[in-house]
Amino acid sequence: MAMMVLDVDPKADSGFPCWNPVRRRFAPESPFFESGNIERELLAKQIALDLGEEEKHQLWRLLDEDCKDLFCPIVGCRARLTSLENFENHYNSQHAAACSVCYKVYPTSRLLSIHISEAHDSFFQAKVARGYPMYECLVEGCGLKFKSYKSRQRHLVDKHNFPSSYDFFKNKAAHHPSKKAREKKIHRKQAATAHKREEVEEEEGTTNQEMDVEGETSVDSLTSALSNLTTGSTPSSVSFGRRNPRGLTFVPRSVHQRNTKKPEDSTPPP
Amino acid sequence: MSTMAEDGFASNKRDPVKSSVGGVASQKRRQHAVAVRKERRESLVRAKRLCRVGSSGDDADTPLNNAMMVDEEESVLDAQAAAAVEELKSAVANQGKGAMQKVVGALRELRRVLSRTEFPPIEAALEAGAMPLLVHCLAFGSPDEQLLEAAWCLTNIAAGKPEETKALVPALPLLIAHLGEKSSSPVAEQCAWALGNVAGEGEELRNVLLSQGVLLPLARMMLPSKGSTVRTAAWALSNLIKGPDPKAATNLIRVDGILDAITRHLRKADEELATEVAWITVYLSALSNLATAMLVKSNVHELLLHRLATSTSLQLLIPLLRSLGNLVAGDSQTTSAIFMPGQEITDNIIGVLTKCLKSEHRVLKKEAAWVLSNVAAGSVEHKQLIYKSEAVIPLLLHLLSTAAFDVRKEVAYTIGNLCVAAASEQDSGRLSLILDHLVSLVEKGCLPGFIDLIRSADTEAAKLGLQFMEMVLRGMPNGEGPKLVEREDGIEAMERFQFHENEDLRNMANGLVDRYFGEDYGLDR
Repeated sequence: MAMMVLDVDPKADSGFPCWNPVRRRFAPESPFFESGNIERELLAKQIALDLGEEEKHQLWRLLDEDCKDLFCPIVGCRARLTSLENFENHYNSQHAAACSVCYKVYPTSRLLSIHISEAHDSFFQAKVARGYPMYECLVEGCGLKFKSYKSRQRHLVDKHNFPSSYDFFKNKAAHHPSKKAREKKIHRKQAATAHKREEVEEEEGTTNQEMDVEGETSVDSLTSALSNLTTGSTPSSVSFGRRNPRGLTFVPRSVHQRNTKKPEDSTPPP
Repeated sequence: MSTMAEDGFASNKRDPVKSSVGGVASQKRRQHAVAVRKERRESLVRAKRLCRVGSSGDDADTPLNNAMMVDEEESVLDAQAAAAVEELKSAVANQGKGAMQKVVGALRELRRVLSRTEFPPIEAALEAGAMPLLVHCLAFGSPDEQLLEAAWCLTNIAAGKPEETKALVPALPLLIAHLGEKSSSPVAEQCAWALGNVAGEGEELRNVLLSQGVLLPLARMMLPSKGSTVRTAAWALSNLIKGPDPKAATNLIRVDGILDAITRHLRKADEELATEVAWITVYLSALSNLATAMLVKSNVHELLLHRLATSTSLQLLIPLLRSLGNLVAGDSQTTSAIFMPGQEITDNIIGVLTKCLKSEHRVLKKEAAWVLSNVAAGSVEHKQLIYKSEAVIPLLLHLLSTAAFDVRKEVAYTIGNLCVAAASEQDSGRLSLILDHLVSLVEKGCLPGFIDLIRSADTEAAKLGLQFMEMVLRGMPNGEGPKLVEREDGIEAMERFQFHENEDLRNMANGLVDRYFGEDYGLDR
């Protein structure tokens, strides 16, 4: 039977170590054989001790936990894991803060709570509309607050050396008019002439373009700025505020260009 | 010489533990119980074995089986041990009539105290000065009964903590001497048992024993066809040769008649003896190239296969399987000698491994998957044989999603090895993806299992998952790879490595994301 094969150089693909099928051999006292060795002795003593199956299982569980000296591999986290199975739970609760409304995931709970306030809290928006400085500086410990998304942005660039292309929350909500504003606009449109309509739309159009321009630039510089926020070494690719894959949007190093999207369409605020 | 405590022990019933007055005392008890439990657990997995019942079986004393001891009982036993040693001391010093009987009587009493429970009062006995007395009792020419009781005491002392085992050092040359062919069988066996416990303690003591010449007489005890002596000797030998120094293993196979005895026992012996002999082959095949070559030449692999196919005893299956695994994992000379005859033997191996994979025992499943992964790492013909065998693939897929973690990892190795072939040396190490297998296995749903491994905290497992994912991304026809990976949340799994402390994993994951989920991804959707 002819077999389809695909030849490849194992070291190609930019240094990715491809799967190489080799025989694996272990020394007799290797940890690999530990459970079998333990079983040997347990079985030998089982008769002497009259261990029932249940007791043996309990022993197994205790031994399992003892043998593992497992620590969370995420940089800066010193959690000790009781089993490999618990890693998933630990990770999801400690290292992945997910928004329960829009499922976006953030690497710290602080960023998550900022996101929730700015994107899903109408009370927050109400205060903003009334002129309170609600937009927190993203750098922990700075403490300053700002009246608009843009002014916070400027502060990050000026005072904290964030790259100017930085758009952490991709906060289209900042440009998303409130219900009142929308209503007002409709009013104006009805009263205005076609000429005025064009003007208004042009205005909106430029705002769109500005957003897109901000969104277009690479998130690479984000990385270096964010390394000041994170606890360890700089990850080579970063994506924040991206939704759980069930919602499909994933932003790798180079950012999607969504030129076709309008601000008021079905895309929910970040 | 029965004491009050002994009467209390006559029945297997025990009074419930009386709780002390006040919380502090009971808390202390609980803490003590926890500490005690921990130590018990460790002693349970030591490679030493207590002798609780004599081989002759004429002892009226029935040992007790209590796993947990209470304070009071311990101190009572300690007192008994000290008393017994005192009695032995005066009996040894006695020169008068019936001195010999008194010595044997005192020894017997000490032996009983040391055999009553799972955790004998070893420290108390040693502190009372038991060791020099016991050495004295091993003198040449002593009556068999005396030698037997003394060796029995030493056996149980050696079964304790490391420092207690080490206390036997002065007695070792005598114990070895009594292995000789002129010794009575029960005496030789009891000495072998004591020596087995000493060998089980650690490499240092093993080397001491070997330098004192224990190997030859002990090996000779394995030559007869049956008897408990053969089994005890085999067990002691397995402790002796376990290395990591391969010298003992190599020297063992050189002993005249040993190779024949090993194959004979593997073929014909009852399961208990076969088990201990199988452990010997485990260490021989793992440590000694000479032994491996000689075993293969005697077709030991066929014996292993046959026994694996017919036995149901977990005790026996583990070392058989591991011996086979060591042979399969060996150097190319060994493996070509095993697989040479043709595909029948490969079929047999796959059949036996399938049986083990179906077992409910975690160790069997894990090690069977390991062996299978090594078979799958062989030639393309081997991969095809595995792939074609009906029962295996569904079984592997099922295990990949449902089994315990260590089993899943080995199954992952197997499945991955089926999908890629290492090309021959002439091709400068190029690899060939076997698309038939890859496509079919992915279609049958193996991808989630690998993505699960990526999510685990185990570096090796994560690497496996990423490597398999790379094959899927690269190899699936019509560019289906990325879509499949995304559908199974593979992208999210890779994102976890953004902050991972392991640089290799970070680079691997990011490399895949960049290459397959970069700018152009999703634009044509």
